[in-house]
Amino acid sequence: MPLTLLSRLGWRNLWRYRRRNLMLFSAILVAVAGCVLMSSLIRGYQYDMMDDAIANLTGNLKVMAPGYRADPSIARAFRVPQSFAPDVPPNELVGWTERVRVPAVIVSEREARGVTLIGVDPAEERAISFLGGVAIRGDALAGPDDGRILLGQELARQLDTDVGRRIVVMTQGADGRNREAGFRVAGLYDAAGTAIEKAYAFTGIRPFQKLLGTDAVTEISVRLKDDRFSARADAELRKDLRGLEVLDWRTLEPQAAAMFQLADAAILIWLVVLMLALAFGLINTLITAVLERVREFGMLRALGMRRGAIVVQVVIESVLIVASGLVVGIVVGLALIAYFSNGIDLSRWAEGVELAGLRNKLVPHLLWSDVAAVGAFAIVLGLFASAYPAWRAVRIDPLDALRR
Amino acid sequence: MDNVVVCRGLGRVYTNDAVPVHALQGVDFDVAPGDFVSLSGPSGSGKSTLLNLIGALDRPTEGRVTVAGVDLATLSDSQLADLRLTKIGFVFQAYNLIPVLSARENVEFIMQLQGVSATERRERAIEILDALGIGELAERRPGQLSGGQQQRVAVARAVVTRPALLLADEPSANLDSKTTETLLDLLRRINVERGVTIVTATHDPIVIRYARRSVRLKDGRIDADERTAAATA
Repeated sequence: MPLTLLSRLGWRNLWRYRRRNLMLFSAILVAVAGCVLMSSLIRGYQYDMMDDAIANLTGNLKVMAPGYRADPSIARAFRVPQSFAPDVPPNELVGWTERVRVPAVIVSEREARGVTLIGVDPAEERAISFLGGVAIRGDALAGPDDGRILLGQELARQLDTDVGRRIVVMTQGADGRNREAGFRVAGLYDAAGTAIEKAYAFTGIRPFQKLLGTDAVTEISVRLKDDRFSARADAELRKDLRGLEVLDWRTLEPQAAAMFQLADAAILIWLVVLMLALAFGLINTLITAVLERVREFGMLRALGMRRGAIVVQVVIESVLIVASGLVVGIVVGLALIAYFSNGIDLSRWAEGVELAGLRNKLVPHLLWSDVAAVGAFAIVLGLFASAYPAWRAVRIDPLDALRR
Repeated sequence: MDNVVVCRGLGRVYTNDAVPVHALQGVDFDVAPGDFVSLSGPSGSGKSTLLNLIGALDRPTEGRVTVAGVDLATLSDSQLADLRLTKIGFVFQAYNLIPVLSARENVEFIMQLQGVSATERRERAIEILDALGIGELAERRPGQLSGGQQQRVAVARAVVTRPALLLADEPSANLDSKTTETLLDLLRRINVERGVTIVTATHDPIVIRYARRSVRLKDGRIDADERTAAATA
């Protein structure tokens, strides 16, 4: 089959109906650029959500004693071997930390609130969780031996307490007996949402262990540079810490994981709807092009061009216009992503943004696999949309066509 | 030498609104190699139908057509397309050049479908365009050519592959008489110098005069078949 000839005919026919094809080219360009930008924004939202879930004291992976999730008590603490460190290559690891995390009641002079009180090594914690990114009024915890407490702003407001004041913590010790101790408020942290501020209070891990009467921890949290490294790290942790549970952030934060999957589906739905809408425009244009050239197709058949070559010619014309719209659309889409690379400021809608679980700045996140998917969809669209017009073209009877 | 075209008992019935129309009835018609035949007759006499059957664009309802020794009834649609591509050259009333290709590319078109190499295609296209006096127009597209020039390009496209048979359907219908004479001089030259067999359907008395054999049809039958003055000239 003379593909060079058919390609040349296809290319020149695009210019022959340039106004109509320019409109179609523009529609494809806008749709493709829109798909590329939109998918990167959805990915931005999706990856922000994943980062938030992982930073919310979850990590990519968490090690806990069996049953701790259902009953988070100090009784389910475990001892970590002195020499333990996660067997993860340094280039895949952000950091890891041990925590003691128990339910507690905090009492101020005026109010009492139930919280999750967490004993941490502040330096390790800041490297892997949201504590590293929050603003703190007053002091941050100085180290694992710091016996002061760090509260969320909202919790402090509810307790009617402030930096430098004392509060009392009541919780259960490792022996099952109640423990009570006074803590001075070191500082108040300002997290992205008030839910976090109300839920978590922090103190140095060592004094907290002493209060609880244990040298054990309730969890080890591991933060990786990319969630793709999880499977291998998971296997290593299971091997090194037998008898303990290793859970990933998707299991620990099922709602966030469901939202993550929903974002995948949203990209797919967006792509399919846009491409289907485009398909009708493309089919319409190609049918018009075939019907306008009935005589020409008849003549080509009369001169001896086979039906297969007619089909290929229509398909080439379709694929050429889709491919040119696709290439330029991708370039425009990438340029738009570059333009918005510092993020789109959503702070004007701060309340709605928080409700939707978005950050104030939505930063596009480019995945080349999404660009490839847009490309693949568009090419399939070009082939699919040309099928019916090509069928119409091969059904043209040369004799009827030449009589017109 | 065997006849290029052999038609035996040829009939073609069209059914319009359930009423059968006998466009051709029992036609026996042969064309010898190197002949120049005109098919004439009033509208509806069957001349275009006969030309289409010989050109493998239509299938008879009765009888058989043999072109260059091949019985068309035995061929599939694809094989008929191949036969048209390799054995038959067509010149249409409305020129039917491909508008997005230049004159040279139009002439090269069929050779390209036949798989002739690029160099040979180009040489042969330029040679035939020069021979037909339109070499300097080779890179112009059909829209930049006059009707007569376009018809010459169509003739060049039809004969460049050296077909066994050249079929021309009303080739002068859109041309003035001077251009018609020029075209017919050209067809005669191709017929005489290149030995191409030509069959043309026409109303035009000038065309009939140029042909060496005149076949007149009436009501789907051959009414007269005679040598013209051109045959004895």
